This record gives sequence, C-alpha cells and structure tokens, in this order.
Amino acid sequence: MRKRFIGSIISLILMVSLFLVACSSKEETTGSSTSDSSGNGEASENIELEIISGGNNLPAPEDDVIKQELEKAIGAEVNLSVVSSEYDNQLNVRLAAGDFPDLFAVNRQQILDFSKKGLLLDLTPHMEKIQSVVDFIGEDNVTKAKVDDKVFAVTVPPQIPYNTYWIRKDWLDNLGIQAPTTVDELLAVASAFTQDDPDGNGKNDTYGITGGVLNAFQPIFGAYGVGMPGSFYLKDGELVNSFYDPAMKDALSTIKKFIESGVVDPEVVTNTALQHQQKAFQGQYGIIYIDWPNITKEVFVEQIKTVNPDAEWIQLRAPEGPAGYFDGTHDIGTAPRYYAIPKELEDDPAKLEKVFELLNYVSSDKGSKLVQYGVEGEHFNLEDGKVVPTDLLAEEGAYFWLYQFTGRPEMEYLKTKFAAQEEYIEYAAEQPRIEALNGFVDIPEGYNPADATRYYEEEIIKFIYGERPLSEYEDFVATLESTFNYQAMLDAAEQQLTDKGLVK
Amino acid sequence: MELKAKTNKNTIVTERSRMKILMTSIWKNRAFYLMLLPGLVWYFIYKYLPMYGVIIAFKEYNFSDGILGSPWADPWYKYFQQFFESPYFSQLLTNTFLISFYKLIFGMVPSIVLAILLNECRVAWFKKWVQTLSYMPHFLSWVIIYGICIAFLSQGTGLVNRWFVEAGGSSIPFLTSSEWFRSVLVGTEVWQNLGWGAIIYLAAMAGIDTALYEAARVDGASRFRMIWHITLPGIRNVIILLFILRLGHMLDAGFEQIYIMYNVQVYPVADIIDTWVFRTGLEQMNFSLASAVGLFKSLIGLVLVFGANHIAKKWGEGIW
Amino acid sequence: MGGRNLVRGIEDRIFDYIIYFFLALVGLSAIFPLLFVLSASLTPFGEVLKNGGYILIPKTLTFDAYKELLSQARIPKAFGVTVFITVVGTFINLILTTLMAYPLSRKKLPGRNFLLFIVVFTLLFNGGIVPTYLIVKGTGLINTIWAMIVPNAIWSFNVLIMKSFFENLPEDLFEAARIDGAKEFRILWQIVLPLSLPVMMTIGLFYMVGHWNEFFQAIMYVTDRTLQPLQVVVRDILLQNSDQLSANVDNMVPTVTMQMAAVIIASVPIILVYPFIQKHFTKGMLLGSIKG
Repeated sequence: MRKRFIGSIISLILMVSLFLVACSSKEETTGSSTSDSSGNGEASENIELEIISGGNNLPAPEDDVIKQELEKAIGAEVNLSVVSSEYDNQLNVRLAAGDFPDLFAVNRQQILDFSKKGLLLDLTPHMEKIQSVVDFIGEDNVTKAKVDDKVFAVTVPPQIPYNTYWIRKDWLDNLGIQAPTTVDELLAVASAFTQDDPDGNGKNDTYGITGGVLNAFQPIFGAYGVGMPGSFYLKDGELVNSFYDPAMKDALSTIKKFIESGVVDPEVVTNTALQHQQKAFQGQYGIIYIDWPNITKEVFVEQIKTVNPDAEWIQLRAPEGPAGYFDGTHDIGTAPRYYAIPKELEDDPAKLEKVFELLNYVSSDKGSKLVQYGVEGEHFNLEDGKVVPTDLLAEEGAYFWLYQFTGRPEMEYLKTKFAAQEEYIEYAAEQPRIEALNGFVDIPEGYNPADATRYYEEEIIKFIYGERPLSEYEDFVATLESTFNYQAMLDAAEQQLTDKGLVK
Repeated sequence: MELKAKTNKNTIVTERSRMKILMTSIWKNRAFYLMLLPGLVWYFIYKYLPMYGVIIAFKEYNFSDGILGSPWADPWYKYFQQFFESPYFSQLLTNTFLISFYKLIFGMVPSIVLAILLNECRVAWFKKWVQTLSYMPHFLSWVIIYGICIAFLSQGTGLVNRWFVEAGGSSIPFLTSSEWFRSVLVGTEVWQNLGWGAIIYLAAMAGIDTALYEAARVDGASRFRMIWHITLPGIRNVIILLFILRLGHMLDAGFEQIYIMYNVQVYPVADIIDTWVFRTGLEQMNFSLASAVGLFKSLIGLVLVFGANHIAKKWGEGIW
Repeated sequence: MGGRNLVRGIEDRIFDYIIYFFLALVGLSAIFPLLFVLSASLTPFGEVLKNGGYILIPKTLTFDAYKELLSQARIPKAFGVTVFITVVGTFINLILTTLMAYPLSRKKLPGRNFLLFIVVFTLLFNGGIVPTYLIVKGTGLINTIWAMIVPNAIWSFNVLIMKSFFENLPEDLFEAARIDGAKEFRILWQIVLPLSLPVMMTIGLFYMVGHWNEFFQAIMYVTDRTLQPLQVVVRDILLQNSDQLSANVDNMVPTVTMQMAAVIIASVPIILVYPFIQKHFTKGMLLGSIKG
C-alpha cells in the first residue's frame, strides 16, 4: 500500500517536472523565432554568433535588452552564454572538441598558449577592418594582446585602481586625534585604536589595521618605494625586482614593528575573500585597505549603519615614508580580459565580418553607450551630451558589462554609473602608485611560478611575524633564485621588457 | 614409455573436459551475463573508451592535433619529473597521506559508533530526529562551513576563544597555526559526514537476523556484548569494503575543503597534491601535468587497494 | 532468577541513558550551525554583523532574500529540471546498479574476478575531462537533459556496496527457489529485491543526492539555459565560485542573507527525503522470509 503511494507520488512529480521542462523549452523556441523575424528583414540567411565568457546573472533572452539592441544594430543573432565557474574547463573542452565559439574570453596566458597551438585568428591582417576598436582601446592596449608582433585578441582596457586605506573618522574624533600622514603616525593611530577604546564601549575589543593578506601593508611598502613582493618596476630608470630593492628589508622591518605592537589583525592571512570587510564593518578594526565599491556601495553602507549609525569611514592617504608616499603597487601591463576569435572562422568570411561588425559597434559612440548604460530613454537620458542614468539602470543594468567586449572609458563610466561615489573614485584613481610591469612579462617555459610564489609568500610572512630573522633575508633570496629557479623569471623579465622597449 | 603416453592422453582429456565444464558453466549462468550486459556496455562507452586520455600525461597535448596526434613529451616522463622535482614534493605527499589517514580513521569510527547508538535507541521519534539532524551538515557547502568555523574558531572573536579568554586562558590560533590546522580540517570533515556516513551502517544493521539477538538475550548477554558479538560482526563486510575503497582514494585528501580553508601560514601542513596542482595549473593551463599527477595518484591507489584486498581476504572478506 | 532480571534491567536502563546522552550531543552539535544558516537567511546582514557575526534567533525577520530568489523565473524551471534528473536518473541508476551488483555477488560466476576488476578499476582511473567530453559529444548527449543522467549512470562505489549486501543474503533461499525451478530473473525480482529494501533505499538516496547537487556535468555539457539544473542557477545568482573574475564592480552584490537563503532553498527538499525512506530500515525483514 505504501509502495503504491510512493509510486504515485513519484509519477506525479515526474509528470509535473516533465511538464515544466517541456513548457520552458517551448518558450525558448518561440522566443528565439520572434527575435529572428524582428531582427532580420532583408537578409535571407540568419547568421548566429556564439560568444562565451565567464560571468553571471545574464538574463533570459527575452529580458536581455542589450542582446536585442545589438541584434538590431548588426543584423545577426548574438548568443552570449556565461558560466559562473569552471569557465576555463569549459573553454578547453570545447576547443579540444573542435566546437569553437565565434568569440570567447581569454587571459594573457591562454593567448600565448592557444596562439602557439594555432587556435586563434591572427588579427594583424584585419586591423583596418576593426579600426574603430583600435581607436577605442588605444594602441598600447592592442600591443598587450601581441605575441611575436602579431595581434591575437582584442584587449579589454584595464580598470583604474580602486584601493586605498580607509579609516574610521568617528574613532579619530572620539579620541581627539588627527588622521595619520606618516608611517610613524600611522603606527601611533593604530595603537590608539587598539588600546584606547575608540568606540567608547568600555571593552578592549578594537584593533588597528586589517586587509586582504599582504594587501593590508601595500601603502607601507609604498612608503619605502618598494613594490609588493614579486613585482618588477623601474627605479631611477633601472629595472628592479622588489626582492632586490635595497629598501625591501627596511619595509619588512617596519611592518614587523607594526605586527609586534599588536595593532594588526592576527589572522590577516586568512582574509582571502571579504573577511576583512566584515571584520571592519563589525567595528573591530579602524583602518582597512580595501576598494571603494566594497565599502561605499549602498548595500554596504546599509550594513555599516545597522551595526553602528555613527560609524563613518573616510579615505586615508598613503602614509609618508623615506621614499615619499605611494598607495601600493599597480600593474600597468595587465588587462582584465581579452576576447579572441578562433582561427577556423577564416573559413566563414560572412560570419567573421559580423564578428568584426559587432566589435566595431560596441566601440562606436552609440554602441558603446548601449553596452555601458543601456537604452537611451529607458536607462539613461542625454542632457547636454552628458549621460544621466535613470533608476531603471540601477535595477536592470547589472549585466550590461558582459557585453562590453572592448571595455569602456573607465573614469567616465564609473562616475556616471556610481555618481554617489564620485569623490571616492577620483581619489583612489589619482593616488600615486608604484607601476609594476609584471603584466608585460610572460612566464618562461619550464618555470613553475606557483612554487616560487608559495615560497616567497611563506617567507615574507615569516619575516614580518618574526618567525624568521631578517638577517637571513639574503639567504631567502639565494634560495629563491636557486632552488626555486627564480633566476629564470628575472632573466625573462629583463629580456622581454627590453625587447618591448619598456626598459633601456 | 607407456606411462608417458597414458599421461598425455589424460592431459588431453582433462583439457577438453575443462573447456567443456567452462562452457557449460557459462551457459548455465547466461541469465547473469545478460543482466550484466547493459552495465558493461555503459562502462565500455563512458568509462573505458575515454581512458586513452591517460596518455596525455606523456604528451605535449596540443588541441589541434588531438590527444592521439600530439607529440610525445620529451622526455616522456617530463611532467612526472616536474611533479617529483618540486621542492615541495615530499611535503605534499606527507600532508596528503596524513590528512587522508586521519580523516579515514576519525571519520569511520564515529560514524560506526553513531550508527550503533542509533540502532540501539528505543525511542523512535528521538532516533528519527537525531538522525535527520546529524546528516544535515552534509548538505552545507564548504564556504558556509568555513564561515561557521571562523565564527567559532577565530583567534580574535571566535566564540571558543572568547570562552577561553574569559576563563583566564589565552586564545588559540586554530586557523593559522600549524599545530591546530590539521585538527580543524579533520574535525570539520568528521562533523560534516558523521550522520551521512552512519546511514550505510544502519542499512547494514537492518539486515542482521533478529533471531541472533533473541538467542543472545535468552543466553543472558548484556547489550554491550550483543553489540560486540552480533552487530559489529554483522556489518563487518561493509566496514571492510568501505575501508578498502577509501584507501584507494588516499591521495585525494579533500581538495575543495582545503582550498577554501587554507592560507599561507598553514601551507606546510595543509598543502596537498591537489591544491598544488590547482595553483600550478592556474598559471600555466597545464593539462599534461594534471594528467600525470592524476595517473600517479591512481597507480598508488591501485597498489593500496590490491594490498588491502589481499589482507582482507585473509579474514574472509575482500572485494574479490 | 528474579534478581538477575533486575540487575539486567538496571544495566539496560543505564545503557539507554548513555545512548540518549551521546545522541543528544550529536543532535545539538548539528543543530547549532544549521540554526545559524536558517537565521542568517531570515535576518538582514547588518543585524548579523551587529551581533558579532552570527545569530541564532533572529530579532528582525525578513523574507526579502527568499522573495528575491523565488521571484526569479528561472528557479522554478531549474527546479523542474533537477526533479526530472533526480527521479528519472535515480530510477535508471538503480536498475543498472542492481543488474550489475547481483550477478557479481554470485561467487561462482565464471569471470567474476575479472568483471569486478573492471568495476574497481574505474574507481581509480579516469580518462580526464576532455576525452569524456568527446565521448559524451560522440553519443549525441551534449546540450540535452540526458547529459546529466547518462554519463553518470553507474557509480562503481554503489555497485560494490550493493554487491556486498547481496552477498549477505542466505544461500538457502536461492537453492530453494532454484530447486523449485525458478529462473534467475525471477529470483532477482521476487526474492532478492524485497529483501534488499534497506540497501536499495540507501543507494537510491546516494544517487538522488548526487543528482540533486549536480553541477559540474551540467556546466560542462549543457549551455542551453532552459536545461540548467538548480545548483547551476543558484550559483549563477550568487557567484559563489568567482574563481577567475574578480567580481566586476557592476555586479549585483549577493548579500550573505541571500546566500544562506539559497542554501536553504536548494537543500531542504532533498534533506526531507530521507525521513520517508527511513521507515524501511526496520529490523527483522529477513526473519519472516526464511521462516516462510
């Protein structure tokens, strides 16, 4: 009897789900056929472009206004699909199976890899066809996608820097002290935060500084003119690797002093995601190194105010040290991502033209505004040539960036979309930073960066926590060079940067 | 002379009859082979056909040439070499084995004990509730469990440490100290799988003949003795089977958990083979390396399974 | 005589109390974190932070996270897909697994060791994602709902467990049936299966949970949005595994409240399956059949 009951439940569930599945797939087919007829008056063949990248929250095709507008503009179907994780695996299996999408997101390493395997279309002979793109992203960025002088992908221009120290203004006020401007003052303020009960609750539950692992110390390294561990940069016109910077030991020594005085988050190495943000919001830390979105977006402001309505965070300029002040290190050679075209698309010139058309369109004035801000009149209005977003943009616009195949003019975009945070954006962007060149250096063959990275991360942590005396610093570098073959990296950087004319 | 001839004839007869016996046997069991057929076909297509992929470990895999067409690595052991020659190789191996071993022992025993406790529980509603609660953690992702971990074990603000400090002790850096981290790893996994692991032992216990318990009760055995002499032996083959199977995966120490929970300060005790492969692969998209390491793990697993099975056979158990 | 019973009675009771104590401990240790997840899903995150980062009993209730998640049209669709995969998939799993496990449990089967080795070997060795993808593609499953059912149709682990249980069944039953002239299929259907309800339910549960949590295969083999199962949709909404993309500044931020609500929505249905199954784990099922 019970068996029959369960059996009927199961068949009921089965029928319901079959129904749901059948219904949804029917919707999908009717959906696409509508867009077919609307996008395509004259052309007899409908070209379908398939694009893949990492990402999330792409709406269903019938709700995707960007897709619809793009299809109208170029007269072909634009089928973007994104995956929230395992993108690399998905890309790899599709390339291996010969199932090439027409445009796909890649990073620098993949460009190197795939171009050597002959999978990517060499764009160099087609550069005139995508002149709009070149104009839009700039020659410098085009070069970033070059391998042996051939362009293999379209670069999405880099973002502007977002990170700075932030400090609790209300704590400063409560204690009657000023925001620190030098490294020594920073230590003093952090100590005051730790010992003098700045939130006035009578409990010894507040500390000084936190951040994402070593990022908590970016401005301190900067105060000595030293790049973050492992970075390559120019110092007095010469190429230098941060480990060999004579000021590195001093920087490490100062950070060690900070940690010894107990003002730093004891578990700073566990802040691999946003744990430091939560700790700061909870009111445990008064100084945090973080990006402005994660502390000034409305949803976060709300969290901060719920915990303590008096809490006020302001940006703090990097503290001054022997080398002046630098807000950490910023890699000027990287790009957030690139988009590549598969080589075999050569055999389908009509489709290839459409891809170029798409890329040109999103780089044009009208197209660029579309993928940045949406539809004019709905998501934004033009007032005196300036873009003014409507409320609809905030509601629906979270996914537009997935269509920004050639990026966007960062500063203008951020200030328009996040008008409330304009001062923070500008402040973070204009801070002097040490310009790292690592993005311009390709990992040499036979070198395993992961092992070297683990080694130096571990040892640097040991130095600043006093678990290894700084007198052994030279030994550390020697081991890094030999056992971990870091010498290969140094040589590669020297050679490649000289070849690229970035270093004399 | 004569004797030899006789022996030859006997041998021929024996061989022929052996074949005949075999053929008759197969025919007799044809229903079984029929049953096995769909499954074997599936295994062939979806498990064995893709196995040629293991040669990626010996090749410079090139998508356009395909797996078979790609050139051989030079030398053929190139990627194995890259793995073995890493300065961290022995540490990775040690960590992987130790963590796996702790998880194995501290995982199986509590689950078995829980199953016994549940089996002996005579209040039906209590048993049902506790069991349902106990396997719920299995459904929580490691991201969430890590968040809970931090709330409890964080050095500054974790609940546990706050109690310590209030009680006059000092806080313990559970998440950043080499001494405690492995315990945290093993402990959280045991907690997550305690109830889930008990399910299978309970199912096995349901199959034990109740007549045995009746007889023991009549003989005046205590509950404890009944557990020791009836329940445990009754699930013995399941315990041994699971033990052998888990041995085969000794070199998988729980990538997802460790990747989410580890940090630079605990690398020396928590970095395992899979996390190393992941970090190395991140920078270099290296199929061949991942394949080579995978092959290495499989071979070790095979040896362990064979070894364990051999020992198990001496006790009358064993997979084959 | 009477005295002995009394002593045994007390011994028994002490034993019981010890059992209750430990079981209560287990129950409590499981319930606290779960309460935490549930409460966090019902409280705005600011409140959780205010309370030191965790909260057991919410003071302000908000169903916003649930409303937000359930209002998305793709959740019911994904739900339907997942239910389909789970029900149909488990059905197929159980049939195939039983058909493999039963013959392999017959110790006298010629070639048994070889066949067992075939099964065990696949537990340890694996061709890799690319060759498997090529085979799945070659058998025409890419972008169909079957891609989430067929490539995973048999778990060697479950075959071995089932075989182990079948081996425990008393030989006399089979002898008796064979003497009566019953064929093997009939024996399987009428004798073995009814006696194996506990293991069937357990293995069935394992497969069901596996299907319910299906993620990797869905992402690799299926790009059609209408075929995305629950886990894929949930992770898409929450970007819980943002491995590569440092979350672009435009991304809607999934609050911790939403993440917890998603966990509840995604796991509660399957958690509730087991209590139903549990009823079949009663002792003494074997007893009746032998005597009979």
